[in-house]
Amino acid sequence: MISYLLRRLAFMVPTVLGITLMVFMLLALAPGGIGAGLAGSAGQLSDTSKVAQMQAYFEDRYGLNDPVIVQYARWLGRISPVKFGERDLRTPSGERVAPPRAIDDPPLAEAFPAPTAEVAAAPYAPPAGEQLVPEFKKLQREAEGARRDYIGSVRQFRDALAEWAKQQGPSMAGRLDSKGSARTEDFRGVEFPPDSPGYAKLAAAAAAMRAKWFRASAARERALAAFRAGPYPKSGIPLLPGLVSLDTPDLGVAFSKNRPVADLIAAALPVTLLINLIAFPISYLVAVPTGILASVRRGGWLDVGSGFLFLGLYSVPTVLAGVFAIGFLANRQYLGWFPVSGLHDSAAASMTFLPHTDAAGLWHRGYLLDTAWHVALPVLCLVYASFAVLSKQTRASMLDNFSADYVRTAKAKGVPRKDVVMRHVFRNSLLPLITMFVGVFPAMLAGSVVIERIFTVPGMGSLILEAIDLRDREIILANTFMVACVNLLALLLADILYAAADPRVSFNRA
Amino acid sequence: MTQRQPGATLAEPGTDRLSRPVLEVTDLAVSFDNSAGGPRVQAVNGASMALYPQQTLAVVGESGCGKSVTAMSTMQLIARPPGRFDRGSILFEGRDICTLEERDMLSIRGGKIAMIFQEPMTSLNPVYTIGDQLLEAILLHQRVGPEEARGIAVQAMRDVGIRKPEERLGMYPHQFSGGMRQRVMIAMALACRPKVLLADEPTTALDVTIQAQILELLRELQRDRDMGIMLITHNLGVVAENADVVCVMYAGRVVEVANVFELFDEPLHPYTRGLFRSIPMLREAKHRLVTIRDVTDEPAEFRRLPGAVPWWPDMPQGARPALAAGRDEHVLVEVRPDRWVACWRTPELEARPHRRPNLAFRRGDR
Repeated sequence: MISYLLRRLAFMVPTVLGITLMVFMLLALAPGGIGAGLAGSAGQLSDTSKVAQMQAYFEDRYGLNDPVIVQYARWLGRISPVKFGERDLRTPSGERVAPPRAIDDPPLAEAFPAPTAEVAAAPYAPPAGEQLVPEFKKLQREAEGARRDYIGSVRQFRDALAEWAKQQGPSMAGRLDSKGSARTEDFRGVEFPPDSPGYAKLAAAAAAMRAKWFRASAARERALAAFRAGPYPKSGIPLLPGLVSLDTPDLGVAFSKNRPVADLIAAALPVTLLINLIAFPISYLVAVPTGILASVRRGGWLDVGSGFLFLGLYSVPTVLAGVFAIGFLANRQYLGWFPVSGLHDSAAASMTFLPHTDAAGLWHRGYLLDTAWHVALPVLCLVYASFAVLSKQTRASMLDNFSADYVRTAKAKGVPRKDVVMRHVFRNSLLPLITMFVGVFPAMLAGSVVIERIFTVPGMGSLILEAIDLRDREIILANTFMVACVNLLALLLADILYAAADPRVSFNRA
Repeated sequence: MTQRQPGATLAEPGTDRLSRPVLEVTDLAVSFDNSAGGPRVQAVNGASMALYPQQTLAVVGESGCGKSVTAMSTMQLIARPPGRFDRGSILFEGRDICTLEERDMLSIRGGKIAMIFQEPMTSLNPVYTIGDQLLEAILLHQRVGPEEARGIAVQAMRDVGIRKPEERLGMYPHQFSGGMRQRVMIAMALACRPKVLLADEPTTALDVTIQAQILELLRELQRDRDMGIMLITHNLGVVAENADVVCVMYAGRVVEVANVFELFDEPLHPYTRGLFRSIPMLREAKHRLVTIRDVTDEPAEFRRLPGAVPWWPDMPQGARPALAAGRDEHVLVEVRPDRWVACWRTPELEARPHRRPNLAFRRGDR
């Protein structure tokens, strides 16, 4: 059993890798690539050169200018519980602080050498004690600012380079890409004659870039020194000091919200869980007994009636049902029984938990009832279509077993009908139900996109939909990763349950 | 229509417990809804037979002749609908099983009448241990505590020749071979010491050596417990070696009843002869095996009975004798003492007094 579990868990690793790789590639290959959403968000700035610089900075910040496979490897490195290299720090609030990133040398440094005035900065000694944390924060901000300036200047240098190349005629202009912009690595080894037209502008851009690089490098050095001085405790458990450590997976920071994905999920997941934890028991408690009774009296009024009703419900699209539910049940012009959207009343924060009557004799519904009132319609929409599949599946597998020989044996033993149904038939009908049951877990995590959207419930479905809209790679990947893991674990759970439900399934002699 | 005369054919009350039939089927007719929309399917049409304690009554006949439906009716295991008891009675301990309520049936089923089936591989519930399934039967019918029930289960397993029963009670059916499973089925059927055992082709799915063991086992237990066995089978070899009385069925009717020796010495009904002739003989080279139809298509076969024409549904209209008006065309005639053959109900036969087949014969009697 244990060895089977270990084997299964080990097999999950490549499966999860495959799933995430596929999703990653899908995002990367989508029109506009991973950064398409960012391009949109940067587009709010008016000046086009500012836009370009901003975009260059975003691309640098999220590593989007590297090849896709490198980006994927970097993402894996973050998600992996085994970390290599310098350990992150962890602030008291649980936020993860990575070491300041290295800065690449400025492009075409051999053609535009460093000015002689450039002097290495004096070694920086970070302060000790209480001063260190604010100092580190300040240095971090400075390093990030200097880096942004430098990345922007690289972009400006590339623009100048493109302009220069165009002025040199077709031999140089041919090195530009199809959009007319210059990739610095295509100009490696090119002669830049100082008397060529437009050279002065190019040289000025190069000098500015060089100066910003120098400032950014120095700022990074100082920030790194402060980082290494240890303003916060180190994160994770070292395995080989300085080389390998164990740490929780880092789900990254969402592009679109500039917040850690883990925080976003922590906010959205309870909402989805709340709705699903109400919905799933309801659908099971209704569908499974109905399926059993329908199979016992096959062709009877319950069988025909429930089949007709459940299939009818199943045929109603959720979108339509949701809109009808809002339009008729929630709209004040009609019944107005339920709230239109959201999970709580705006005054929910000040409510008591349980309903009560105040001194003036006014009744207050309290937090609990308020929440129940708000989730009623989403739960209804989540539940109504699920009856059909579940009850029909129960009924079908019950009917399969009713004609089994061992059921005849049980009857011949004089087992009362009720016990024949539950102890012999239903017990043997569990396997297909187990398969369906474990599907609940990934579904709970993923949330229902449509229903959460219709009822503006801020759950996992809304989160992922928004992330897809904005192409927020980190949220999509984190979600995929979680759902994939839970799905695989659920399948493993199903296999364990099979073994519990059916003695013919055993892991010990595999 | 035959008159319904429940109990009319009971043997004279004797002091000997073995001299009264334990189960008596009288003019039983069972039909089923035809899902294709045609007329009802008459699975059993006026079958009569009697079973005595310690007796093995073999019911033979081709597939679909109504053997299993008769046995299942005895347990009320026929789903109704689509099934229906049209007429007749099944007397057990003075009560007619056909009219018993489900509540009363529960104590009879598995308790006083037990049944073993021909599919040992699938007749045990795969998700419960052998012990669970044995104990279920015991606890349903016997007022005993769990410990005592376990003791009974162990003894039942030992009775059917399963070694190390304590250990095996905790095992699941899939850990048993087919022969072992059939032994478990028998143990389960016999754990409550039934008066009647309905064995529906109990050895068909088993290999020959196991067949012999199982039948030997049934015979032993039968003697010990005064149990009557209704043995349903296709296998005439099994009949020859195990049966006391043989009841041949065709098309839902009994066509011949006799003790096993007389039947094998001289089958009287052409169908029975066809059945025996269709057994291939050793050391006899043939291009084609004899079918039952080869025999029943031969008009000479139907002239052998003095004073009666054997009943046969395929007989051409013209060849049929003049029948007694308004009655069932078929009558089981005691053509010789203790020999019954199905005949056309001619006015002459109609005038004769009829005794329903009722043979207390047992092998040891001869």
